[in-house]
Amino acid sequence: MCDLFALSAKTNFSAPKALPLFAFRASKNMDGWGIGYFRKGHAFVEKSAQRVYMPDRVHDSYQRLARVVSSRIIISHVRFRTSGAVDECHAHPFVLNFCGSDWLFAHNGKAPAIETYRTQGEVVAGAASDSARAFEYLRDQMISLCRKSAAPLPLFDLVSQGTARMIEEYPGDYNYLLSNGLVIFAFTNHRQFMLLEGSRKLEGGLLLTTLEKGLSDEKWLRMARSSSAQGLMLAVSGTDVVVRRSL
Amino acid sequence: MNGSADVAVSQHPSGGALGGTATLCLTQDPEPFYQGVRQIMCDVLAISAGHNYTPKQYLPLFAERGRGNMDGWGIGFFREGQALVETSPEQVYPGYQVHESFQRLARVIDSRIIIAHVRCSLSGHHRGDSHPFTLDFLDHSWLFAHVGVVEGIDQYRTRNEPRLEVEVYSARIFEYLRDQLLSLYPMNPYLSLYTALGVGVERLVSEYPGHYAFFLANESVIFAFCNFRQFLLLREAETVGDILLITTVEEGLSPNNWFALRPEEGSRGTMLVVAGPELLHLGKV
Repeated sequence: MCDLFALSAKTNFSAPKALPLFAFRASKNMDGWGIGYFRKGHAFVEKSAQRVYMPDRVHDSYQRLARVVSSRIIISHVRFRTSGAVDECHAHPFVLNFCGSDWLFAHNGKAPAIETYRTQGEVVAGAASDSARAFEYLRDQMISLCRKSAAPLPLFDLVSQGTARMIEEYPGDYNYLLSNGLVIFAFTNHRQFMLLEGSRKLEGGLLLTTLEKGLSDEKWLRMARSSSAQGLMLAVSGTDVVVRRSL
Repeated sequence: MNGSADVAVSQHPSGGALGGTATLCLTQDPEPFYQGVRQIMCDVLAISAGHNYTPKQYLPLFAERGRGNMDGWGIGFFREGQALVETSPEQVYPGYQVHESFQRLARVIDSRIIIAHVRCSLSGHHRGDSHPFTLDFLDHSWLFAHVGVVEGIDQYRTRNEPRLEVEVYSARIFEYLRDQLLSLYPMNPYLSLYTALGVGVERLVSEYPGHYAFFLANESVIFAFCNFRQFLLLREAETVGDILLITTVEEGLSPNNWFALRPEEGSRGTMLVVAGPELLHLGKV
Protein backbone atom coordinates (compact mmCIF):
# COMPACT_ATOMS: atom_id res chain seq x y z
CA MET A 1 0.00 0.00 0.00
CA CYS A 2 1.24 3.50 -0.86
CA ASP A 3 1.41 6.22 1.77
CA LEU A 4 0.58 9.91 1.81
CA PHE A 5 1.96 12.94 3.61
CA ALA A 6 0.85 16.57 3.66
CA LEU A 7 1.98 19.71 5.42
CA SER A 8 -0.28 22.76 5.55
CA ALA A 9 0.97 25.98 7.12
CA LYS A 10 0.12 29.66 7.49
CA THR A 11 3.17 30.73 5.50
CA ASN A 12 5.78 29.04 3.36
CA PHE A 13 7.29 26.17 5.29
CA SER A 14 9.79 23.38 4.79
CA ALA A 15 9.67 19.90 6.29
CA PRO A 16 13.32 18.80 6.71
CA LYS A 17 12.44 16.57 9.67
CA ALA A 18 8.97 15.25 8.81
CA LEU A 19 9.56 14.34 5.15
CA PRO A 20 12.62 12.08 5.71
CA LEU A 21 10.85 10.50 8.67
CA PHE A 22 7.85 9.85 6.45
CA ALA A 23 10.14 8.23 3.88
CA PHE A 24 11.74 6.06 6.56
CA ARG A 25 8.46 4.93 8.09
CA ALA A 26 6.92 4.28 4.69
CA SER A 27 10.04 2.53 3.43
CA LYS A 28 8.24 -0.68 2.54
CA ASN A 29 6.89 1.23 -0.45
CA MET A 30 9.56 0.45 -3.04
CA ASP A 31 8.19 1.79 -6.29
CA GLY A 32 8.82 5.51 -6.42
CA TRP A 33 8.18 8.76 -4.64
CA GLY A 34 7.10 12.33 -5.28
CA ILE A 35 6.98 15.71 -3.58
CA GLY A 36 4.47 18.33 -4.77
CA TYR A 37 4.34 21.96 -3.74
CA PHE A 38 3.17 25.39 -4.90
CA ARG A 39 5.11 28.47 -5.92
CA LYS A 40 3.26 31.68 -6.84
CA GLY A 41 0.05 29.73 -7.38
CA HIS A 42 1.58 27.12 -9.67
CA ALA A 43 1.99 23.46 -8.77
CA PHE A 44 5.38 21.80 -9.09
CA VAL A 45 6.35 18.16 -8.62
CA GLU A 46 9.68 16.39 -8.17
CA LYS A 47 9.37 12.64 -8.47
CA SER A 48 11.30 9.47 -9.07
CA ALA A 49 10.70 5.79 -9.82
CA GLN A 50 13.46 4.81 -7.41
CA ARG A 51 13.07 3.54 -3.87
CA VAL A 52 12.57 6.30 -1.35
CA TYR A 53 14.62 4.41 1.22
CA MET A 54 17.80 2.62 0.28
CA PRO A 55 19.45 0.37 2.85
CA ASP A 56 20.11 2.61 5.84
CA ARG A 57 19.31 5.94 4.27
CA VAL A 58 16.63 8.06 2.65
CA HIS A 59 17.04 8.74 -1.08
CA ASP A 60 19.57 11.55 -1.49
CA SER A 61 17.32 13.75 -3.63
CA TYR A 62 14.36 13.25 -1.31
CA GLN A 63 16.44 14.43 1.64
CA ARG A 64 17.71 17.47 -0.21
CA LEU A 65 14.24 18.39 -1.47
CA ALA A 66 12.90 18.07 2.07
CA ARG A 67 15.34 20.79 3.13
CA VAL A 68 14.76 23.07 0.17
CA VAL A 69 11.09 22.89 -0.87
CA SER A 70 9.23 25.78 0.78
CA SER A 71 5.49 26.14 0.37
CA ARG A 72 2.30 26.68 2.36
CA ILE A 73 1.24 23.24 1.15
CA ILE A 74 3.51 20.25 0.56
CA ILE A 75 2.21 16.86 -0.52
CA SER A 76 4.32 13.74 -0.71
CA HIS A 77 3.62 10.19 -1.86
CA VAL A 78 5.61 6.99 -1.64
CA ARG A 79 4.46 4.26 -3.94
CA PHE A 80 3.78 0.57 -3.70
CA ARG A 81 2.61 -0.35 -7.17
CA THR A 82 -0.85 -1.86 -7.46
CA SER A 83 -1.76 -0.37 -10.85
CA GLY A 84 0.37 0.88 -13.75
CA ALA A 85 4.08 0.56 -14.46
CA VAL A 86 6.97 1.41 -12.17
CA ASP A 87 8.29 4.59 -13.75
CA GLU A 88 8.45 8.30 -13.07
CA CYS A 89 5.19 9.01 -14.90
CA HIS A 90 3.30 6.78 -12.49
CA ALA A 91 4.75 8.35 -9.37
CA HIS A 92 2.44 10.80 -7.61
CA PRO A 93 1.51 13.61 -7.09
CA PHE A 94 -0.06 14.34 -10.47
CA VAL A 95 -0.81 17.86 -11.73
CA LEU A 96 -3.77 19.09 -13.78
CA ASN A 97 -5.04 22.62 -14.36
CA PHE A 98 -8.79 23.19 -14.11
CA CYS A 99 -11.35 25.49 -12.50
CA GLY A 100 -8.80 28.31 -12.72
CA SER A 101 -6.09 26.59 -10.66
CA ASP A 102 -3.27 24.09 -10.75
CA TRP A 103 -4.22 21.05 -8.69
CA LEU A 104 -2.04 18.40 -7.08
CA PHE A 105 -3.41 14.90 -6.54
CA ALA A 106 -1.95 11.92 -4.71
CA HIS A 107 -3.81 8.67 -4.09
CA ASN A 108 -3.48 5.62 -1.92
CA GLY A 109 -5.68 2.57 -2.35
CA LYS A 110 -6.89 0.10 -4.95
CA ALA A 111 -9.66 1.01 -7.37
CA PRO A 112 -9.26 -1.24 -10.45
CA ALA A 113 -12.79 -0.47 -11.64
CA ILE A 114 -11.88 3.11 -12.54
CA GLU A 115 -9.05 2.03 -14.86
CA THR A 116 -11.68 1.78 -17.62
CA TYR A 117 -12.67 5.45 -17.29
CA ARG A 118 -11.83 7.55 -20.33
CA THR A 119 -11.88 11.32 -20.06
CA GLN A 120 -12.77 13.66 -22.89
CA GLY A 121 -10.33 16.19 -21.45
CA GLU A 122 -6.61 16.37 -20.84
CA VAL A 123 -5.11 13.14 -19.52
CA VAL A 124 -2.47 12.72 -16.85
CA ALA A 125 0.53 12.38 -19.16
CA GLY A 126 2.04 8.92 -19.42
CA ALA A 127 0.12 7.37 -16.53
CA ALA A 128 -2.12 4.32 -17.00
CA SER A 129 -3.24 3.66 -13.44
CA ASP A 130 -6.33 3.81 -11.28
CA SER A 131 -4.94 6.93 -9.57
CA ALA A 132 -4.53 8.85 -12.82
CA ARG A 133 -8.06 7.94 -13.91
CA ALA A 134 -9.46 8.89 -10.49
CA PHE A 135 -7.89 12.35 -10.77
CA GLU A 136 -9.28 12.81 -14.28
CA TYR A 137 -12.71 11.64 -13.14
CA LEU A 138 -12.77 14.10 -10.23
CA ARG A 139 -11.61 16.93 -12.49
CA ASP A 140 -14.33 16.10 -15.05
CA GLN A 141 -17.02 15.97 -12.35
CA MET A 142 -15.99 19.30 -10.84
CA ILE A 143 -15.99 21.01 -14.24
CA SER A 144 -19.36 19.50 -15.11
CA LEU A 145 -20.94 20.58 -11.81
CA CYS A 146 -19.59 24.11 -12.28
CA ARG A 147 -21.02 24.35 -15.78
CA LYS A 148 -24.47 23.21 -14.66
CA SER A 149 -24.78 25.94 -12.05
CA ALA A 150 -25.14 29.67 -12.70
CA ALA A 151 -24.62 30.41 -9.01
CA PRO A 152 -21.18 29.82 -7.52
CA LEU A 153 -20.99 26.34 -6.01
CA PRO A 154 -18.85 25.97 -2.90
CA LEU A 155 -15.63 24.13 -3.63
CA PHE A 156 -16.24 21.65 -0.81
CA ASP A 157 -19.53 20.64 -2.46
CA LEU A 158 -17.85 20.22 -5.85
CA VAL A 159 -15.20 17.89 -4.47
CA SER A 160 -17.63 16.00 -2.22
CA GLN A 161 -20.22 15.44 -4.92
CA GLY A 162 -17.58 14.38 -7.44
CA THR A 163 -16.11 11.94 -4.95
CA ALA A 164 -19.49 10.49 -3.97
CA ARG A 165 -20.25 9.82 -7.64
CA MET A 166 -16.83 8.26 -8.18
CA ILE A 167 -17.31 5.82 -5.32
CA GLU A 168 -20.76 4.93 -6.51
CA GLU A 169 -19.78 4.49 -10.16
CA TYR A 170 -16.35 2.99 -9.58
CA PRO A 171 -16.26 1.35 -6.16
CA GLY A 172 -12.83 0.97 -4.61
CA ASP A 173 -10.46 2.02 -1.88
CA TYR A 174 -9.69 5.70 -2.10
CA ASN A 175 -7.48 7.75 0.18
CA TYR A 176 -6.51 10.89 -1.62
CA LEU A 177 -5.09 14.37 -1.19
CA LEU A 178 -6.21 17.06 -3.62
CA SER A 179 -5.00 20.65 -3.41
CA ASN A 180 -5.18 23.92 -5.33
CA GLY A 181 -2.49 25.55 -3.19
CA LEU A 182 -5.01 27.17 -0.84
CA VAL A 183 -6.90 24.20 0.53
CA ILE A 184 -6.10 20.49 0.87
CA PHE A 185 -9.04 18.16 0.43
CA ALA A 186 -8.32 14.87 2.16
CA PHE A 187 -10.69 11.99 1.52
CA THR A 188 -10.61 8.54 3.03
CA ASN A 189 -12.84 5.49 2.75
CA HIS A 190 -10.26 2.97 3.96
CA ARG A 191 -7.37 3.12 6.43
CA GLN A 192 -7.11 6.57 8.09
CA PHE A 193 -5.52 9.98 8.20
CA MET A 194 -3.38 10.89 11.21
CA LEU A 195 -3.21 14.61 11.97
CA LEU A 196 -0.98 16.68 14.23
CA GLU A 197 -0.97 20.43 14.64
CA GLY A 198 1.92 22.34 16.18
CA SER A 199 4.41 19.49 16.61
CA ARG A 200 7.23 20.19 19.01
CA LYS A 201 9.44 17.48 17.56
CA LEU A 202 8.82 17.94 13.86
CA GLU A 203 7.84 21.00 11.86
CA GLY A 204 5.02 23.35 12.85
CA GLY A 205 1.90 23.73 10.78
CA LEU A 206 -0.57 20.90 10.34
CA LEU A 207 0.92 17.51 9.47
CA LEU A 208 -1.15 14.74 7.94
CA THR A 209 -0.25 11.19 6.96
CA THR A 210 -1.82 7.83 6.22
CA LEU A 211 0.79 6.10 8.40
CA GLU A 212 -1.04 4.39 11.23
CA LYS A 213 1.18 5.66 14.05
CA GLY A 214 1.88 9.10 12.66
CA LEU A 215 5.46 10.37 12.47
CA SER A 216 6.27 10.99 16.13
CA ASP A 217 5.22 9.90 19.60
CA GLU A 218 3.07 13.01 20.02
CA LYS A 219 -0.73 13.06 20.22
CA TRP A 220 -1.82 12.46 16.63
CA LEU A 221 -5.54 12.54 15.93
CA ARG A 222 -6.94 9.63 13.96
CA MET A 223 -9.60 10.51 11.43
CA ALA A 224 -11.39 7.75 9.55
CA ARG A 225 -14.81 7.16 8.06
CA SER A 226 -17.52 5.95 10.36
CA SER A 227 -18.92 2.53 9.60
CA SER A 228 -22.23 4.03 8.47
CA ALA A 229 -20.66 6.45 5.97
CA GLN A 230 -19.21 6.10 2.47
CA GLY A 231 -16.19 8.09 3.47
CA LEU A 232 -14.84 11.13 5.28
CA MET A 233 -13.88 14.41 3.61
CA LEU A 234 -11.70 17.07 5.25
CA ALA A 235 -10.85 20.54 3.99
CA VAL A 236 -7.62 21.86 5.49
CA SER A 237 -6.49 25.47 5.17
CA GLY A 238 -3.63 27.01 7.09
CA THR A 239 -3.18 24.94 10.24
CA ASP A 240 -6.81 23.89 10.68
CA VAL A 241 -9.36 21.38 9.54
CA VAL A 242 -11.83 24.01 8.38
CA VAL A 243 -14.61 21.68 7.21
CA ARG A 244 -15.18 18.01 7.99
CA ARG A 245 -18.06 15.98 6.61
CA SER A 246 -19.02 12.33 6.27
CA LEU A 247 -20.19 11.35 2.79
CA MET B 1 -26.03 22.85 12.66
CA ASN B 2 -27.06 21.65 9.24
CA GLY B 3 -24.44 20.61 6.78
CA SER B 4 -26.28 21.38 3.57
CA ALA B 5 -26.04 24.58 1.62
CA ASP B 6 -29.77 25.14 1.42
CA VAL B 7 -29.63 28.90 1.46
CA ALA B 8 -30.93 31.55 -0.83
CA VAL B 9 -28.55 32.67 -3.56
CA SER B 10 -29.52 34.91 -6.44
CA GLN B 11 -27.69 36.89 -9.02
CA HIS B 12 -27.86 40.60 -8.38
CA PRO B 13 -30.29 42.44 -10.69
CA SER B 14 -27.41 44.30 -12.31
CA GLY B 15 -25.85 41.04 -13.35
CA GLY B 16 -28.08 39.45 -15.98
CA ALA B 17 -29.43 35.90 -16.03
CA LEU B 18 -30.55 34.12 -12.91
CA GLY B 19 -29.66 30.54 -12.16
CA GLY B 20 -29.58 27.93 -9.42
CA THR B 21 -28.92 24.31 -8.52
CA ALA B 22 -30.41 21.67 -6.28
CA THR B 23 -28.35 22.90 -3.38
CA LEU B 24 -28.50 26.63 -4.04
CA CYS B 25 -31.99 28.01 -3.93
CA LEU B 26 -32.83 30.57 -6.59
CA THR B 27 -34.35 33.78 -5.29
CA GLN B 28 -36.32 35.89 -7.75
CA ASP B 29 -37.00 38.66 -5.25
CA PRO B 30 -33.90 40.74 -4.61
CA GLU B 31 -35.68 43.18 -2.31
CA PRO B 32 -34.04 43.43 1.10
CA PHE B 33 -36.16 41.90 3.87
CA TYR B 34 -34.56 44.10 6.49
CA GLN B 35 -35.95 47.37 5.25
CA GLY B 36 -36.26 49.86 8.05
CA VAL B 37 -33.10 48.51 9.61
CA ARG B 38 -30.79 49.14 6.64
CA GLN B 39 -30.89 52.91 7.00
CA ILE B 40 -28.92 52.92 10.25
CA MET B 41 -26.40 50.23 9.52
CA CYS B 42 -22.67 50.16 9.10
CA ASP B 43 -21.22 48.40 6.05
CA VAL B 44 -18.44 45.85 5.69
CA LEU B 45 -16.27 44.58 2.88
CA ALA B 46 -14.02 41.53 2.79
CA ILE B 47 -11.49 40.81 0.06
CA SER B 48 -9.87 37.39 -0.18
CA ALA B 49 -7.13 36.45 -2.62
CA GLY B 50 -4.78 33.56 -3.25
CA HIS B 51 -1.80 35.90 -3.03
CA ASN B 52 -1.11 39.20 -1.35
CA TYR B 53 -3.37 41.80 -2.90
CA THR B 54 -3.38 45.59 -2.88
CA PRO B 55 -6.99 46.86 -2.81
CA LYS B 56 -6.41 50.20 -4.54
CA GLN B 57 -9.53 49.84 -6.66
CA TYR B 58 -12.14 48.31 -4.40
CA LEU B 59 -11.45 49.97 -1.06
CA PRO B 60 -12.10 53.50 -2.41
CA LEU B 61 -15.21 52.20 -4.19
CA PHE B 62 -16.40 50.76 -0.90
CA ALA B 63 -15.79 54.07 0.86
CA GLU B 64 -17.70 55.90 -1.82
CA ARG B 65 -20.67 53.51 -1.72
CA GLY B 66 -20.62 53.48 2.06
CA ARG B 67 -20.44 57.24 2.34
CA GLY B 68 -23.76 57.36 4.18
CA ASN B 69 -21.91 55.93 7.18
CA MET B 70 -20.37 59.07 8.58
CA ASP B 71 -18.81 58.01 11.83
CA GLY B 72 -15.50 56.36 11.22
CA TRP B 73 -13.79 53.61 9.33
CA GLY B 74 -11.37 50.76 9.80
CA ILE B 75 -9.25 48.48 7.65
CA GLY B 76 -7.90 45.16 8.86
CA PHE B 77 -5.28 43.06 7.10
CA PHE B 78 -2.53 40.52 7.75
CA ARG B 79 1.24 40.80 7.63
CA GLU B 80 3.25 37.64 8.25
CA GLY B 81 0.25 36.02 9.89
CA GLN B 82 -0.39 38.89 12.29
CA ALA B 83 -3.66 40.84 12.10
CA LEU B 84 -3.17 44.59 11.89
CA VAL B 85 -5.79 47.34 11.97
CA GLU B 86 -5.90 50.99 10.94
CA THR B 87 -8.97 52.87 12.16
CA SER B 88 -10.22 56.44 12.26
CA PRO B 89 -13.23 58.18 13.87
CA GLU B 90 -13.39 60.54 10.89
CA GLN B 91 -15.79 60.34 7.99
CA VAL B 92 -14.68 57.95 5.28
CA TYR B 93 -16.00 60.33 2.63
CA PRO B 94 -15.68 63.91 3.82
CA GLY B 95 -16.83 66.46 1.27
CA TYR B 96 -16.27 65.20 -2.23
CA GLN B 97 -13.58 62.58 -1.91
CA VAL B 98 -12.51 59.50 -0.01
CA HIS B 99 -10.60 60.19 3.22
CA GLU B 100 -6.96 60.77 2.33
CA SER B 101 -5.54 58.17 4.70
CA PHE B 102 -8.08 55.60 3.55
CA GLN B 103 -6.95 56.19 -0.04
CA ARG B 104 -3.28 55.93 0.85
CA LEU B 105 -3.83 52.72 2.83
CA ALA B 106 -5.71 51.27 -0.13
CA ARG B 107 -2.59 51.78 -2.24
CA VAL B 108 -0.18 50.34 0.31
CA ILE B 109 -1.85 47.38 2.06
CA ASP B 110 -0.68 44.05 0.65
CA SER B 111 -2.50 41.07 2.16
CA ARG B 112 -4.33 37.90 1.18
CA ILE B 113 -7.26 38.92 3.38
CA ILE B 114 -8.53 42.47 3.87
CA ILE B 115 -11.59 43.51 5.90
CA ALA B 116 -12.93 47.06 5.89
CA HIS B 117 -15.73 48.61 7.92
CA VAL B 118 -17.47 51.97 7.69
CA ARG B 119 -19.44 52.99 10.71
CA CYS B 120 -22.70 54.67 11.60
CA SER B 121 -23.03 55.68 15.26
CA LEU B 122 -26.81 55.30 15.06
CA SER B 123 -26.31 51.55 15.12
CA GLY B 124 -25.16 51.73 18.69
CA HIS B 125 -21.47 52.48 18.45
CA HIS B 126 -19.47 55.34 19.87
CA ARG B 127 -16.61 57.38 18.56
CA GLY B 128 -13.24 55.71 18.56
CA ASP B 129 -14.52 52.15 18.32
CA SER B 130 -14.19 51.50 14.62
CA HIS B 131 -13.82 47.90 13.61
CA PRO B 132 -12.24 45.57 12.74
CA PHE B 133 -11.11 44.31 16.15
CA THR B 134 -8.26 41.87 16.67
CA LEU B 135 -7.73 39.05 19.17
CA ASP B 136 -5.18 36.24 19.28
CA PHE B 137 -6.43 32.76 20.15
CA LEU B 138 -6.16 29.15 18.95
CA ASP B 139 -2.71 29.90 17.53
CA HIS B 140 -4.10 32.50 15.14
CA SER B 141 -4.42 36.24 14.98
CA TRP B 142 -8.08 37.02 14.16
CA LEU B 143 -9.95 39.97 12.65
CA PHE B 144 -13.62 40.64 13.40
CA ALA B 145 -16.05 43.19 11.98
CA HIS B 146 -19.78 43.25 12.60
CA VAL B 147 -22.87 45.15 11.55
CA GLY B 148 -26.29 44.88 13.14
CA VAL B 149 -28.08 45.60 16.37
CA VAL B 150 -28.02 43.13 19.27
CA GLU B 151 -29.74 43.88 22.55
CA GLY B 152 -28.30 42.73 25.84
CA ILE B 153 -24.91 41.44 24.78
CA ASP B 154 -23.24 44.56 26.15
CA GLN B 155 -23.71 42.86 29.54
CA TYR B 156 -21.58 39.88 28.50
CA ARG B 157 -18.34 39.61 30.44
CA THR B 158 -15.61 37.32 29.17
CA ARG B 159 -13.54 35.21 31.55
CA ASN B 160 -10.69 34.91 29.09
CA GLU B 161 -7.82 37.23 28.35
CA PRO B 162 -7.20 39.48 26.62
CA ARG B 163 -10.36 41.59 26.80
CA LEU B 164 -11.25 44.27 24.30
CA GLU B 165 -11.30 47.57 26.14
CA VAL B 166 -13.98 49.28 24.06
CA GLU B 167 -17.51 49.31 25.49
CA VAL B 168 -19.44 48.33 22.39
CA TYR B 169 -21.47 45.23 21.78
CA SER B 170 -19.48 44.22 18.68
CA ALA B 171 -16.47 43.72 20.95
CA ARG B 172 -18.59 41.58 23.27
CA ILE B 173 -19.77 39.48 20.28
CA PHE B 174 -16.15 38.88 19.26
CA GLU B 175 -15.23 37.90 22.83
CA TYR B 176 -18.28 35.63 23.05
CA LEU B 177 -17.29 33.79 19.87
CA ARG B 178 -13.66 33.55 21.00
CA ASP B 179 -14.80 32.12 24.34
CA GLN B 180 -17.02 29.56 22.60
CA LEU B 181 -14.20 28.37 20.37
CA LEU B 182 -11.82 28.15 23.32
CA SER B 183 -14.31 26.11 25.33
CA LEU B 184 -15.30 23.76 22.51
CA TYR B 185 -11.87 22.60 21.33
CA PRO B 186 -10.61 21.08 24.59
CA MET B 187 -13.76 18.97 24.69
CA ASN B 188 -13.49 17.81 21.08
CA PRO B 189 -10.28 18.35 19.13
CA TYR B 190 -11.85 16.54 16.16
CA LEU B 191 -14.20 19.45 15.50
CA SER B 192 -13.68 21.41 12.33
CA LEU B 193 -13.44 25.19 12.65
CA TYR B 194 -16.69 25.52 10.70
CA THR B 195 -18.57 23.22 13.06
CA ALA B 196 -17.11 24.80 16.19
CA LEU B 197 -17.92 28.31 15.02
CA GLY B 198 -21.38 27.17 13.94
CA VAL B 199 -22.07 25.88 17.44
CA GLY B 200 -20.79 29.16 18.90
CA VAL B 201 -22.97 31.22 16.59
CA GLU B 202 -25.99 29.06 17.32
CA ARG B 203 -25.53 29.68 21.05
CA LEU B 204 -24.89 33.38 20.46
CA VAL B 205 -28.05 33.90 18.45
CA SER B 206 -30.11 31.89 20.94
CA GLU B 207 -28.73 33.66 24.00
CA TYR B 208 -28.58 37.14 22.49
CA PRO B 209 -31.15 37.38 19.69
CA GLY B 210 -30.56 40.22 17.27
CA HIS B 211 -29.33 41.23 13.85
CA TYR B 212 -25.93 39.84 12.97
CA ALA B 213 -23.76 40.20 9.89
CA PHE B 214 -20.09 39.63 10.59
CA PHE B 215 -16.72 38.62 9.20
CA LEU B 216 -14.30 36.58 11.29
CA ALA B 217 -10.95 35.88 9.64
CA ASN B 218 -7.56 34.41 10.37
CA GLU B 219 -4.63 34.56 7.96
CA SER B 220 -6.04 31.72 5.84
CA VAL B 221 -9.85 31.78 5.84
CA ILE B 222 -12.79 34.16 6.26
CA PHE B 223 -16.02 33.10 7.95
CA ALA B 224 -19.01 35.26 7.10
CA PHE B 225 -22.32 34.99 8.94
CA CYS B 226 -25.57 36.88 8.43
CA ASN B 227 -29.07 36.45 9.75
CA PHE B 228 -30.71 39.58 8.44
CA ARG B 229 -28.90 41.36 5.63
CA GLN B 230 -27.61 39.96 2.39
CA PHE B 231 -24.03 39.52 1.38
CA LEU B 232 -23.13 40.33 -2.20
CA LEU B 233 -20.32 38.23 -3.68
CA LEU B 234 -18.15 38.86 -6.73
CA ARG B 235 -15.21 36.90 -8.09
CA GLU B 236 -12.91 39.14 -10.09
CA ALA B 237 -9.89 38.34 -12.25
CA GLU B 238 -6.90 40.53 -11.38
CA THR B 239 -3.40 40.52 -12.81
CA VAL B 240 -2.09 38.83 -9.65
CA GLY B 241 -4.85 36.20 -9.78
CA ASP B 242 -8.52 36.03 -8.85
CA ILE B 243 -10.01 37.73 -5.82
CA LEU B 244 -13.34 37.26 -4.06
CA LEU B 245 -15.22 40.27 -2.71
CA ILE B 246 -18.03 40.09 -0.14
CA THR B 247 -19.92 43.16 0.99
CA THR B 248 -23.09 44.29 2.69
CA VAL B 249 -23.30 47.34 0.43
CA GLU B 250 -26.71 46.83 -1.10
CA GLU B 251 -25.93 47.62 -4.71
CA GLY B 252 -22.46 46.04 -4.75
CA LEU B 253 -19.35 48.00 -5.67
CA SER B 254 -19.51 47.76 -9.45
CA PRO B 255 -21.95 46.92 -12.24
CA ASN B 256 -20.57 43.37 -12.48
CA ASN B 257 -22.43 40.13 -11.80
CA TRP B 258 -22.69 40.20 -8.03
CA PHE B 259 -24.39 37.23 -6.41
CA ALA B 260 -26.72 37.95 -3.52
CA LEU B 261 -26.64 35.52 -0.61
CA ARG B 262 -29.09 35.79 2.22
CA PRO B 263 -30.47 33.47 4.87
CA GLU B 264 -33.71 31.64 4.44
CA GLU B 265 -36.46 33.03 6.55
CA GLY B 266 -36.94 30.75 9.51
CA SER B 267 -33.27 29.72 9.71
CA ARG B 268 -30.89 31.07 12.34
CA GLY B 269 -28.66 32.39 9.60
CA THR B 270 -26.21 31.54 6.87
CA MET B 271 -22.50 30.97 7.27
CA LEU B 272 -19.97 30.79 4.50
CA VAL B 273 -16.28 30.01 4.42
CA VAL B 274 -13.89 31.61 1.95
CA ALA B 275 -10.33 30.48 1.20
CA GLY B 276 -8.41 32.55 -1.32
CA PRO B 277 -10.74 33.51 -4.17
CA GLU B 278 -12.86 30.41 -3.56
CA LEU B 279 -16.18 30.04 -1.79
CA LEU B 280 -15.18 26.94 0.14
CA HIS B 281 -18.35 26.11 2.04
CA LEU B 282 -21.85 27.40 2.60
CA GLY B 283 -24.48 26.28 5.06
CA LYS B 284 -27.25 27.08 7.48
CA VAL B 285 -26.64 27.52 11.18
